[in-house]
Amino acid sequence: MKTVDNTVTARRTGSRFPLDGWERSLLALLLIEIIGFCIGIPGFYDGIGSLLGLTQNFIPFGLVALGLSVVILTGGIDLSVGSVAGLGAMVMAELWQGLHLSIWLSALIGVGSGAVLGWINGMIITRLNTEPLIATLATSFIYGSVGTALAGENPPSGFPDSFNALGQGEIANILPYQLILFVVLAIFFSLLMSRSAYGRKIVMVGYNVEAARYSGMRVGRVVCSAYVISGATAALAGIVLASYYSAVRPDMGDILLLTTITMVVLGGVSIFGGEGSIAGVVLAVLVLGVLRQGMLIAGFSDMVTTMVTGAILLAAIAIRNLMSGRGTGLALLFLRLRRLGGGKMPKAAE
Amino acid sequence: MRNSKKAALLVAALLGFSVGAHAADIDTSKRIRVAMVPKLIGLSVFKANEKGAIAAAAKLNINFLYTGPVTASAQGQVDVFNSLIARRFNVITTTSNNPTELAPALRRAMKMGIKVVSYDSDVSPDARDFFIQNTAYPEFGKALVDSVAKYTGPDAKIAILSSTPDATIQNAWIDALKTYMAATYPKMTIVTTQYGQSSPSQSLTAGLNILQANPGVTGIIAPDGAAEVGAAAAVQKLGLTGKVFVTGCSDPDSIRQYVKAGVIKESPLWDEVKEGELVMYVARLAYNNAIQKTGTFTAGDLGTFTANDGVIIFSTPLIFNAENIDQYQF
Repeated sequence: MKTVDNTVTARRTGSRFPLDGWERSLLALLLIEIIGFCIGIPGFYDGIGSLLGLTQNFIPFGLVALGLSVVILTGGIDLSVGSVAGLGAMVMAELWQGLHLSIWLSALIGVGSGAVLGWINGMIITRLNTEPLIATLATSFIYGSVGTALAGENPPSGFPDSFNALGQGEIANILPYQLILFVVLAIFFSLLMSRSAYGRKIVMVGYNVEAARYSGMRVGRVVCSAYVISGATAALAGIVLASYYSAVRPDMGDILLLTTITMVVLGGVSIFGGEGSIAGVVLAVLVLGVLRQGMLIAGFSDMVTTMVTGAILLAAIAIRNLMSGRGTGLALLFLRLRRLGGGKMPKAAE
Repeated sequence: MRNSKKAALLVAALLGFSVGAHAADIDTSKRIRVAMVPKLIGLSVFKANEKGAIAAAAKLNINFLYTGPVTASAQGQVDVFNSLIARRFNVITTTSNNPTELAPALRRAMKMGIKVVSYDSDVSPDARDFFIQNTAYPEFGKALVDSVAKYTGPDAKIAILSSTPDATIQNAWIDALKTYMAATYPKMTIVTTQYGQSSPSQSLTAGLNILQANPGVTGIIAPDGAAEVGAAAAVQKLGLTGKVFVTGCSDPDSIRQYVKAGVIKESPLWDEVKEGELVMYVARLAYNNAIQKTGTFTAGDLGTFTANDGVIIFSTPLIFNAENIDQYQF
């Protein structure tokens, strides 16, 4: 049973299995889902290669979710991930097409530009003392427009095949490059959040910003860094999408935002910050991604899959709240509202 | 009166179908699965394609599926393609939201032996077997200009209201109409080009902006379904009916009220229902390998068509006006 102490830093003694109850449930759900789809949906299982290949259709969501988790752990939110993904990919494509830089160097600069955009978000939030919701909503419009302006009438497309392999290719026709990238980053983020001093700072800021400040932490800097990470992973996701489609469009990342917030929350990260784990988020990415692919292959329309995603999110939150041991229903809601009203917003660093 | 006419048309159509069923030159022995993926589901022009496709599918022994994303997104279409590939459809037909973004998924389909037929808006030529083009670009450009020139006079100030700056088909039409305009009406000028993002409300706003910022404009060419409606609504809202004439390429249902009100005198399009039928004929023939990249073929009672390097031109523009618009219900 989960208690108020945060699950990121708390290392449960006596348990060798590094997942808590929520994550185990997600893992069980994922296994049931995959087995059920393999048996029940003709065309879903067509060899291990095609099963792993399905992940190519949703890994970019996972990449965004990793960075977004860090932001949400601090108690913030980044609504600009979609437009950062679009703009990051656009920067890469324009450098490649306009300045004839190598595509990989351009991709690196693209990720860097995402980090810079995230840094701008972070500075607006910490220095101008703005609500993350408003600040990143505003910058999402700005970044989106800049992307559209950069794109012009004929957005670049037709990247080199070596680059397209990142989004479309597999090692030995089995292991998609996208999946490898995601696994490596997921392990890195998981270690960063659960085993490093930096991870503890992030969680502490999210759990109790005042305590963090009184303990001498440079809160503004920590918060800002979370947005830098989120910007970089969003741009990386945009670049993977560019490779998958072998084309860029400024609105390419728009679909990312809402689904990734769903993934992060389903993964057990509290939307108010200070609680949650990367392992849960990774599992939630796989649960929702596989679910969507399975339903599409079963012939359900986009609309139905979106509806089911919403229903699962609601069910997950409800179950989580009921089982959280912190009271149920209204009592919990009041507790949360009080916490929200109690100055959760990190203020500018003194 | 009108009802009896409609009934007569229906009977004629049914007779036509039964005649078509004797189309002995097409091998329909094996039942095949064909999907039609529009830019988005729920748009009436695409529903008209579907109507024709369903009728033709019944004759051609096709197990027909109409599916697509709920918003006009290329990514949504790719999701649908992926599922169709996994379900081993025989032919995928589609009108693309974006020619390049769809290409990798469709190439994957072709590699799996699935035939790809695009219609309306093309994808990259290497990502499809055949493309059914609505009308030839120069002819449609001419039809658009003529539809307003007759009423505004040859030296009018014209505004263009399109969908998005990177819409392939709209840009091709705009290029074609500029070429035709320069050659035929050298004194006609295009004062501004605006974009309504294929959204009715944004098109209305853009239409109002055009009219308020350019009081001399007497014609708006809006070669996009939502843009034409938006431009016509803007003209009506500002009380400029009879002073500013609108044309574009909407389906009859969307523009009927504006045609009757005189805001739109003429508006070119093509018969979307019959185009849907042709899509199914080409799908069947492509599956049978009974059609060449370059050559002629017969599509039942639709007649004979010519493929030129995979491109098939469906028809000449069909001009709607106040007299004939009620004959077309889509």
